Amino acid sequence: MDRTRAILRKAAWSVFTIFFVIILNFFLFRVLPGDPARAGIRDPRLNKDAIEALRVRFGLDKPVINCFETLNPIKVGSCAVNPMETQFFIYIKNLLQGELGYSYHTNRPVVDVLGERLWNTILLIGAGQILAIVFGVAFGIFAAWRARTSIDYMAVGASLVAWSLPTFWLAILLLFWGSTIGLPVAGKATPGMSSYPLLQQWGDIAKHMLLPTLTYTIVYMGEYTLIMRSSLLDVLSEDYILTAKAKGLNTVQILRDHALKNAMLPLVTVIAINLGFTVAGVIQIESVFSWPGLGSAIYEAVVRRDFPMLQGAFLLIAVTVILANLLADLTYTYLDPRVRVE
Amino acid sequence: MKQKALYLFVLIALLVSACSGGGAGEPAIVRVGWAGSPDTLNPGMAILTEAYTIFELVYDSMYDLNLDGSFTLSLAESANVSDDGTVWTFKIRDGLKWHDGQPLTAEDIAWTYNLYKDTPEYPYLNGYYTTYFDTIETTDNNEVVLTLTEAIPNIESQLVFLYVLPKHAWEGVDKLEYENTEMVGSGPFKMAEYVQNEFVRLSANKEYFQTPPKVDEVIFQTFENQDALVQAIKTGQVDMVTEMPNTAAESLKAEENIELVVGAPLAPGVTDIIFNQVDPENCPEEGGLCTGHPALRDRNVRLAMAHATDKQKLIDVILLGLGNPGLTLIPDGLGVWYNDSLTDFEFDTAKANQILDDAGYVDADGDGIRDLPDGSRPLNFRLNWPSDSLTAPRMSELLAEMWGAIGISLEPQAVDPDALTAQCCPAFDFDIMIWGWASDPDPSALLYVYTSEAVPTGSSETGYSNPKYDELYAQQQVELNFEARKEIVWEMQKIVHDDVVYIIPFYDANVQAFRTDRFTGWITDQAKVELSDVTSLVVIEPVK
Repeated sequence: MDRTRAILRKAAWSVFTIFFVIILNFFLFRVLPGDPARAGIRDPRLNKDAIEALRVRFGLDKPVINCFETLNPIKVGSCAVNPMETQFFIYIKNLLQGELGYSYHTNRPVVDVLGERLWNTILLIGAGQILAIVFGVAFGIFAAWRARTSIDYMAVGASLVAWSLPTFWLAILLLFWGSTIGLPVAGKATPGMSSYPLLQQWGDIAKHMLLPTLTYTIVYMGEYTLIMRSSLLDVLSEDYILTAKAKGLNTVQILRDHALKNAMLPLVTVIAINLGFTVAGVIQIESVFSWPGLGSAIYEAVVRRDFPMLQGAFLLIAVTVILANLLADLTYTYLDPRVRVE
Repeated sequence: MKQKALYLFVLIALLVSACSGGGAGEPAIVRVGWAGSPDTLNPGMAILTEAYTIFELVYDSMYDLNLDGSFTLSLAESANVSDDGTVWTFKIRDGLKWHDGQPLTAEDIAWTYNLYKDTPEYPYLNGYYTTYFDTIETTDNNEVVLTLTEAIPNIESQLVFLYVLPKHAWEGVDKLEYENTEMVGSGPFKMAEYVQNEFVRLSANKEYFQTPPKVDEVIFQTFENQDALVQAIKTGQVDMVTEMPNTAAESLKAEENIELVVGAPLAPGVTDIIFNQVDPENCPEEGGLCTGHPALRDRNVRLAMAHATDKQKLIDVILLGLGNPGLTLIPDGLGVWYNDSLTDFEFDTAKANQILDDAGYVDADGDGIRDLPDGSRPLNFRLNWPSDSLTAPRMSELLAEMWGAIGISLEPQAVDPDALTAQCCPAFDFDIMIWGWASDPDPSALLYVYTSEAVPTGSSETGYSNPKYDELYAQQQVELNFEARKEIVWEMQKIVHDDVVYIIPFYDANVQAFRTDRFTGWITDQAKVELSDVTSLVVIEPVK
């Protein structure tokens, strides 16, 4: 009973947050200086009529919202304007119908572009996260079990270095190294592979993923190793571990049955939060390796003042972050019975 | 432990490459690496040059633009103009075919021109290139009859970017939302595969009516990172790269099997130092702020700054020597339109100081900065540039040093490009800016930037206004005699150069590179050097 109510309450808050994000998103980009119809392009060939025609096409000729005349510097209409004729309500109306509009820059439906990019990002980040979790947790356990030995110091040292490495720099180094052993340095696939057998296509994609995934793994592995190690060390100092040892259980049994479940808790939080944010893509990794993911799409959209793309992408990120948090909460209640009590 | 992970990765890499290796039959595939990608393949909506590069390869238009700046007829075998210069009759070649096998006739051309003329949302094709179009009709003799509202001298440059579209494929589509990824064209290359922001794959049209390509495929691959681009050509992942950073040029010079070429790009670019000299009386009513420093309205001050600017040093430091000193907004890459008879203001700091002394700009309060003749304000200028510029930060440092030597101080500040546009024009809310232009093949577009008419429209960035110049601008727009028009265009450049409207530090050179062990025959000896241009891509062939 209590649990259902707690979940419902959390879900309701999530919906409220998403609604808030939608509104914020809309106004956030419109207070940016500049004109999306020109998008920073100065060209004597772009005459006034052409720019005006583009504005009409994008709906930018309409007031952003009516009333609120003090809301400068955005374009506001007077209260006499029909609210349904303002950009804000048109945006909300389209959103309720599942429409994210047309990207000003690429002239394509935002949903299509986001869809393509999202899968690429999930592919890269999924592989990177899984590897980082597997290796991070393994190294963390190993370091904690062998605490204060040279192995532990090496693991902690390496993790600290990996965690604090500038992502961009690491990516460039790996790019130089990878290119000398014949790994592709850009893109998701070799152009022209689409006519090849499926297995070969996957092999090609895997090859392209190696360097970016490796970068991602190294960066996140360090963080996970450190968290896993310190959390496990905490648990291992508990009395019940001593008891387990006294009962004569072996190392594997102690770790698996008594220590790990408790030690995983902090890591679950970090992973869930990371997962939420990384849907935004890892801009640095994506741009170094020209990975066609969401991160580079967002960057491009900012440069081009592509409001519909930005709104769509930020909405997507907000929803994933909120869902990831919700998921973390729920996993927590499952993993740790103590938090079930309100 | 990290090592282990590394080895594992390498192992996987080797396994995977072992699987995907091999392949029989060797089609000649040219791999081009570039820093961008087309925004859209709908010719009407496209803005980026990358899109135009693809259009050039897949579509045809009435004229071809050659690398020396001249034009030749393409789809038409002859062009005749009426005596008053307003009616153009183009006889279209017989037997032309679209890539899908359908015939290409005058009907397609007229339909396309009408589409461009009647679609106000097409920013360039409607707004600029079809301005003088009145009617477009066809005759039974496979001719296109184009009637203009007035006679213009540069019909070739107006038609060269009006890519002819297949009526049968375009008739039923939404002309604004159509993505056109299938791109049925008639040019030397066919669209084979397009993945936005990843690559464009084109296959050769071996039945092309002009020069059919010797290679089988051309692939343009997007590199968002320029180090990756350089690394890709070094390791042979691409055969040619466009738009390289000048810093990378040094490291490629030493490479075996790579040749570096430097020259004006197809759309020659200009880097300009802009002085806000708008007269407060001339301040645009709509959106004009006009906060420029009054000293910049004095030609003497601008002249002194020009004399104090060491352009060669700017080129050597910023472009690593790869660029030419500039004169006016008309770049040397425009060939005949470029007035090469002008002599630049020589770099002479002493002379610059003398000019300012004589004009009464002395350091009244002894702080090392000169003041206005009435002593009311020091010669301290705001200097802005778009924050995405790679060269401007270094240039601002050098300028501060050079102009510091004549008692002028600067407040340098990078500004977001959109914010800078808002600050620039027609607001005129700045003192000096570093920015640039890309040029149309015809000089008219950039000459317009200096006109009084452009001040309120936002195209003028200096606020310069000179009735004599305006008159000449109007004249060259209707002068049908080529030589006479050239004279006027040269005269206009002299006027704006003498008035020191801008300081043009340099004309940007395009740095490109190709692998000599892959393809041969690249065209590099013309006024413009553009390896990704159709002229090169149809003649190159694999190295035996």
